[in-house]
Amino acid sequence: MTKDFSIIGKRIAMVDAAGKTSGAGKYTDDLSLPGMLVGKILHSPYPHARMKRIDTTRAEKLDGVVAVATGKDAPNTYGILPVGHDERALAVDKVRYVGDNVACVAALDEATADRALELIDVEYELLPAYFDPEKAMKAETDLIHDNKPHNIEKDYHHVFGDPEKGFAEADHVAEARFIANEVTHAAMEPHSTLAALEIDSQTGKPGRLTVWSSTQVPYYLQHKLSLVLEMPMSQIRVIKPLVGGGFGGKSEVIPLEIIAAIAARKTRAPVKITYTREEVFWAHRGRPRTIIDLKTGVKNDGRITAVKARVVQDGGAYCSYGVVTILYSGALLGALYDIPNIQYDGYRVLTNKPACGAMRGHGTVNVRFAFESQLDELAAKLEVDPAVIRRRNLLQPPCVTINGLRVQSYGLPECIDRVVERSGWKHRKGKLTRGRGLGIACSHYVSGAANSIIRSDMPHSTVNIKIDRDGGVVVYTGAAEIGQGSDTMTAQIAAEVLGCSLSRVKVVAADTDLTPIDIGSYSSRVTFMAGNATLRAAEEVKKQIALAAAKKMNCAVEELVFRDDGVFNSKSINVGAGVPPVQAPGGDERGRSSPHRSQDQASVSGRVEGQILRGSLQQQRNEEGPKDFMTFEEAVVAAIDFHGALAGTGSYAPPPEARGGKFKGAGVGPSPAYSYSAQVAEVTVDEDTGEVIVHKVWAAHDCGRALNPVSVEGQIIGSVWMGMGQALTEEMVWKDGLLMNPGLLEYRSPSSVESPEVEPIIVESIDPEGPFGAKECSEGSLAATIPAIANAIYDAVGIRLREAPFTPERVLAALRAKKNAKLLDLTEGIDPTAPERFREHGGALWFKGKGPERHASDPARRTEQA
Amino acid sequence: MSLPQFKLLRPRTVEEAVSLLAKQNASEGLRATRIVAGGTDLIPSMQQKLFEPQHVLDIRRISQLQGIRQTEEGTEIGALTTLTEVEHSDLLQKNYPVLTEAARTVASPILRNMGTIGGNICLDTRCLWYNQSLTWRKSCGFCIKKDGDLCHVAPGGTKCWAAFSADTPAALLCLNAEIEIASSAGFRRTPLREFYTGLGDSYRKLAPNELLMRVILPRSSAGYRGVYRKLRIRGSIDYPLAGVAVALSRSNGNVSEARIALTAVNPAPVLVKGASELLAGKIVDEELAEAIGDLAARTAKPLTTSALTPEYRREMIRVFTKRAVLAVASG
Repeated sequence: MTKDFSIIGKRIAMVDAAGKTSGAGKYTDDLSLPGMLVGKILHSPYPHARMKRIDTTRAEKLDGVVAVATGKDAPNTYGILPVGHDERALAVDKVRYVGDNVACVAALDEATADRALELIDVEYELLPAYFDPEKAMKAETDLIHDNKPHNIEKDYHHVFGDPEKGFAEADHVAEARFIANEVTHAAMEPHSTLAALEIDSQTGKPGRLTVWSSTQVPYYLQHKLSLVLEMPMSQIRVIKPLVGGGFGGKSEVIPLEIIAAIAARKTRAPVKITYTREEVFWAHRGRPRTIIDLKTGVKNDGRITAVKARVVQDGGAYCSYGVVTILYSGALLGALYDIPNIQYDGYRVLTNKPACGAMRGHGTVNVRFAFESQLDELAAKLEVDPAVIRRRNLLQPPCVTINGLRVQSYGLPECIDRVVERSGWKHRKGKLTRGRGLGIACSHYVSGAANSIIRSDMPHSTVNIKIDRDGGVVVYTGAAEIGQGSDTMTAQIAAEVLGCSLSRVKVVAADTDLTPIDIGSYSSRVTFMAGNATLRAAEEVKKQIALAAAKKMNCAVEELVFRDDGVFNSKSINVGAGVPPVQAPGGDERGRSSPHRSQDQASVSGRVEGQILRGSLQQQRNEEGPKDFMTFEEAVVAAIDFHGALAGTGSYAPPPEARGGKFKGAGVGPSPAYSYSAQVAEVTVDEDTGEVIVHKVWAAHDCGRALNPVSVEGQIIGSVWMGMGQALTEEMVWKDGLLMNPGLLEYRSPSSVESPEVEPIIVESIDPEGPFGAKECSEGSLAATIPAIANAIYDAVGIRLREAPFTPERVLAALRAKKNAKLLDLTEGIDPTAPERFREHGGALWFKGKGPERHASDPARRTEQA
Repeated sequence: MSLPQFKLLRPRTVEEAVSLLAKQNASEGLRATRIVAGGTDLIPSMQQKLFEPQHVLDIRRISQLQGIRQTEEGTEIGALTTLTEVEHSDLLQKNYPVLTEAARTVASPILRNMGTIGGNICLDTRCLWYNQSLTWRKSCGFCIKKDGDLCHVAPGGTKCWAAFSADTPAALLCLNAEIEIASSAGFRRTPLREFYTGLGDSYRKLAPNELLMRVILPRSSAGYRGVYRKLRIRGSIDYPLAGVAVALSRSNGNVSEARIALTAVNPAPVLVKGASELLAGKIVDEELAEAIGDLAARTAKPLTTSALTPEYRREMIRVFTKRAVLAVASG
């Protein structure tokens, strides 16, 4: 059934677009308050050390310094997961990575704060440090966290079906180790927080705390601030200004958010901290570098019989979302294809590096790279078309997968068909010129987690709507707009349900004092969950308006149609002169009402003087008797007169049957709906240099229903682009736990020059539970890009790269090995076609001789002295 | 990251500039005056506290240093001429195409609008262990180039291997460019190839009281065919990880004169010794190009100063040189 929508499904510019493009929009760092101080954080220079002494006296004496905060100002631990409360805003006893937070100076200006950092004296006792997860797992002593033996944050061992039997039945088995190196979000806006504590004017004691922060999760921030500062949540207000990109990097509480509040409390003045880009890299929470030992068995016809994966994630020094990440890596082996037998062993390991966390495609991306690459290998071995082998392993929804994931809408077959068709796959694959190739891969992602981080029966999203006599619709939502279009989506759904123009809708979002709880913008949950809550709230309000309007119009509620800023009696819609016909809405096709239209309408209804006349207008209407049509404003006024007020609320909690199985770790992976993606990438490979150029990516994505196609396309293109970054150029380079490229010059996100043409193809499977059938569209496409490129490289030049990114040196090393060319050590001793371990940057970190005076803490020197 | 505090000096003439330089430097030592033109090199480095000068001399108001002019000896390019101007100069494109091509590859269009030819010639050498914040360098341990006495890329070594990472000097070397330098003592001219020392730390022969005024391209190099090939990971923004410039003249299909220079693989841009001799009088073919590539690869001494491995960068010098030679010869 196709439904005739007036706002849903239309190409609508983001409601905050002009503010952002004109520079008028305010991000956190744009804000300032009278008397505001600048906060700067002292970071650990050592990867693992005990703090023996910290002396801030000299710094405090510096002119312009107001206070120096240290760990003892707020020693409570916190963490985004209830099982992972292992962080402190500022270190108390130990530092665990280069960049760990030690102290914070609040000063009158940034230069003074920077100078003061140099005056803080910290004495460290260095501890052995762990940089490689497989080595860290063998450790018995000097553990990173005392309660985590062998530095294992968490390990899971899942068996579904009978994998051994599955492999025994297989005609072919492929087995290999894959390595995906570490990447980070690289959002344009660095993290920034402004915290201000009201001082009670009567008692002089600290009162309410207000925090403006670049966050994806205002509610969680409010919660963690409450824990660490020991303040009731009701005394803390979190406001999210515009956010310049999150991608997961702002989906948990980042140290500066709490540190700014601590400093504000200590100084009794507003304090703003904005990270440098280097600090953003230290705060990190990106995608961990991952070892994937993968084994796949298939029958001769390509049907998968069993999959076994052992995944080791180098999680960094703190838990962060780690437990969830390692579970997603296993759980989302399911729900894409029909896999009857799965064995999964996942290890989340602690190392002395910045903490990894959630990043676009959370947990699924690296495993998907391995899986889709291996499936490609098997297809080649079986001489089955790689597109066909994927079609032979489709699920048959509605169904529940072997690992307990409920799948209802499933647009994967259509996604595959569309990219095959659009790319000319059937007549071009394998027939391109030398060095040019096509590769296909698929991926999927959750539309929000069915189980929230904090286990409770709390709804995941609640939305309030209030309409007043002015006819303005105000939607209050805790959902966090981070550039993905959350506010626009909310406005569109409210306007569609209420039949009003988009310009009537004002979205008040992500302010914990004003907006009801929403658990935030992560795991692609907002459209599905906050969208459903908005839908329900709007329907509740609509019901109230309909009751009053039906009475006025002397008809049944069911006969009313809300559309084009009016309420119509559907039975007599075509009679009655002067009624704006439904077929000719005055708004433009982007769903905004035109200014001319409201004038026309005003003259039609005899309303010229505005709202003041409404009472008499009402009177007039009453005298005129029943009507076939009321303007939206008239209907609203009638409803307020009838009910006394006009407000509605809606909330969303995932249905119990979507919440997964009962085994340990079953909570992560289930979602009310999954998005699906298939992609074909076309590349050329320069066989002398190893350089890979991606020419085009055809990306089909099943988003249920595209509420705003232009926004969906933007998300698909962005996902492909970000995936291409991880495939070709982006890599955090490490040397003994020191990040060698903590900046956007040396951490290379693709520039516009190497950005390929991306053809986004929207597939609509109309999910039975999504708002208007919608599912997620922001993350699911990323994971397919990496293996699509890997498979295209294989098609072009016949090399199978098992280590990402496919930098020119890795590609060339593989090409030379294939040709038996003279051996050159292009890749620090790691074979990119059969990687065994993570690569370290060359050179040496520590001095082996004398250093300048102020570098007395060099460990080599210390041994020398001892 | 905040800039360290400094006093900005803004002279309007070369004379004023060099007298300011002469006055400031005597007592300042490590905190000697830094000269800023486009600022694309100096400003990020100052934020990282690689330089904390007491004075910064902004030369952008000195109109004498602007522009491209034809003279009797050839073509002069004022030090303040932006890389965008160099890139789009018809005169240079016609007579010295290797230079315009090299200029076109520098960083990104926005940076080329700011960056100048003088700044590109004087560009600080770069190293992954050096171009880092003060906090980072403290954590890692200071090196020879800044505050320390040892090298991370050549452990145990006492020489600095930071790589000279500008694009245009390789092209300028191929063109036998000279530079003119001013100081309060007067003017001096030097061939560009003698400007660089080959050391990563004190990489150029420019005294603290001296100012680079212009670069002079000799008439004898005009009309040379030229090609510049740059290794980088991204098609924009990146510094070169290896760069090759080739310029040659031909008569009757044979090479008459040729010069090849490398950048980003040594602490200085270097002319490949022996390349001219190998090429002179020959018709370039695959085999000869290969031999030149091998020669260039032996000249390159890349170390772990950047993200790509030294072995790969050296190999690319071989490949890029070969390709550049073939491209110039066949063009």
